[in-house]
Amino acid sequence: MQSERRLHPLSIIFNIGKRFGALLIPLLVVLAGRGSDEDRWNVYALAFLVPYGVAVVGGYLSFRYRYEPGELVIRRGLIFRNQRHIPYDRIQNIDAVQNILHRLTGVVDVKVQTAGGKEPEATLSVLSLADLDEMRRRVFGRATAATAREAAELAGGVAPPARVLLHLPPRELVIFALIENRGFVVIAAAFGLLSEFSVFSKFLERYLGEEASRGIFRTAARTMFVDGGPSMRVVVFGALAFLAFLLVSRLFSIVWAQVRLHGYSVTQAGEDLRAEYGLATRVTATVPIRRIQAVTIRDTPLHRMLGRASVRVTTAGGGGSGDNKAPQHREWIAPIIRRDDVPGFLAALVPGADLSSFEWRAVHPGAFRRMLTRASIVNTIVVALLSLVMGRGVWWLLPILLAMSIFRSWRRAAYLAWATTPDVVAMRTGALVHVTTVAPLARLQVVERHESPFDRRTAMAHITADTAGGGGIDVPFLAVETADALYGRLAAAAAHTEFRW
Amino acid sequence: MDDIQAVEAEAPAGSSIADGVVRPLDPRYVDLLIQTGWIASGVATVLVLAGSTLMMLARGITAGSLGVAAGLCVVVVLLAVWLIRWPPVSYRFESYRVDADGLEIRRGVYFRSVTTVPRSRIQHTDVSQGPLQRRYGLATLTVHTAGTENSEVELPGLPHDVALRIRDHLLPGNTADAV
Repeated sequence: MQSERRLHPLSIIFNIGKRFGALLIPLLVVLAGRGSDEDRWNVYALAFLVPYGVAVVGGYLSFRYRYEPGELVIRRGLIFRNQRHIPYDRIQNIDAVQNILHRLTGVVDVKVQTAGGKEPEATLSVLSLADLDEMRRRVFGRATAATAREAAELAGGVAPPARVLLHLPPRELVIFALIENRGFVVIAAAFGLLSEFSVFSKFLERYLGEEASRGIFRTAARTMFVDGGPSMRVVVFGALAFLAFLLVSRLFSIVWAQVRLHGYSVTQAGEDLRAEYGLATRVTATVPIRRIQAVTIRDTPLHRMLGRASVRVTTAGGGGSGDNKAPQHREWIAPIIRRDDVPGFLAALVPGADLSSFEWRAVHPGAFRRMLTRASIVNTIVVALLSLVMGRGVWWLLPILLAMSIFRSWRRAAYLAWATTPDVVAMRTGALVHVTTVAPLARLQVVERHESPFDRRTAMAHITADTAGGGGIDVPFLAVETADALYGRLAAAAAHTEFRW
Repeated sequence: MDDIQAVEAEAPAGSSIADGVVRPLDPRYVDLLIQTGWIASGVATVLVLAGSTLMMLARGITAGSLGVAAGLCVVVVLLAVWLIRWPPVSYRFESYRVDADGLEIRRGVYFRSVTTVPRSRIQHTDVSQGPLQRRYGLATLTVHTAGTENSEVELPGLPHDVALRIRDHLLPGNTADAV
């Protein structure tokens, strides 16, 4: 069973496509004979394609992978040879991406991720679907079979039942799109494209006169500050344009969500979570539950109004080996979820985390004053600096900023709290946007207790606990006795639990 | 100031280092830091003198250039005083403790912190020595975890042999509950 395998032969085509995608359009232009003399160099550039083509074919021919009993071994390179051993139990995820061409040809682009940094440990582009299934089975099948429960299930001959944890119908995606505006992404892209063809300047020229086309921001600034205020026509146009922009961006946001997140679902199969989504590009991401380092539940005022929330997970990043310590933040595990469904969903992600059983404990009553003092000092410095640049007129900003700070500090101090259960530690924070972080005690790394001079004056302390995925626990303004108790509890828990990759 | 009362200076040879006793860093560490401070101050002095001379050659000896040079000299003197006076103060607030669970480090005069590195979370450890440290027989122990914000915890100012003993104790292979 240790024979070496190759990638799917279509890899050659896809890899050539990947490398030359950028050159394809100029190439077509040249071939169509429409290129001016300046574009002629593109023809000569074609000569560089030949060695690249050879490199791609050579890369394909030299790429081999095999399954050893405990690890995935990948050999590649003709001249610079490289052999990489990836132990199965260090593999965090196997991500598979299929764009339209991949789907038409029944292949898939596979990335094998471990705990070390941004770049995938191995990119296998492309594999057949059957090969992907085999890889998943060998890598995760083995890892999960190590646990007793799974072994018992296997012995009983029962396949782990797949359970749908979350499914987002188009209606939920519309709500998601209205709350989290992704329209700007589309608009920014469109704006870039249109300005290429100078559509905007022609448009503005027609409605606002020649001046406007010179640069929309410069013109706006000039009418505001130099020409003694904008004309009525410009004000109306600006307001209408702004409204239209808001509407159109939400519309784009909805379209974006329907395409990108089409049919979003999270299923639990045994010890793995699988998120699947996408209309044009179908994405399947597998996250083993035991790799989850922390779960973050976030809700904005809009979310709360509509009875929704969003959930993110962090899986291990910052591996012990390698300098690349970027955490792997998955964007969402639940882009949007009903608040009533959050406790059940959380319990599936973090075994033993029962959101309703958390006894939230507030921080020191002096927290509000500390926050307000800090914010006031920052506000005053900012306004003082602004007044140096823009004159004394800006001091009227200070009372407004202070009023906002009072409100924010009040909300934040009231919401800031922490909780522990036998298995997890949780904290919540935020003034308007509420964020709740839940981390299993067995996932905590370094635990720290901090005490600044200001803390000592008010008998407070600050506790932090690091996790392998970032998004750890960070509770400031604790009363000293509480802090000591929490510190002891977290440190002991981290010391007496086994950390498994 | 309520500095940390370290109980014992040295673990008796032969006994385990992992006895949960709070220990201060090696006193020679203070000398090392002071010497480093002198060297840094010397380098800064040379740079400031050279810079001032160049400035006066280029601009002439004016009130402005004299003022700038004097200002730089004051900064260097203050820096030197701080670099040389601070180590004995901060030394009294630094200590470590090793027990069966892992390593605990205390530090900070004004901004104090206690850091716990559970032994079960340690991925790998380094013991490093610079040229000056070698002269004093000292070493820095660095403990790496899988964490993100705090994945590298350093403990400088240990006698070299103590650093090695702690490392050997912390190595995951040396325990029953290996990762």
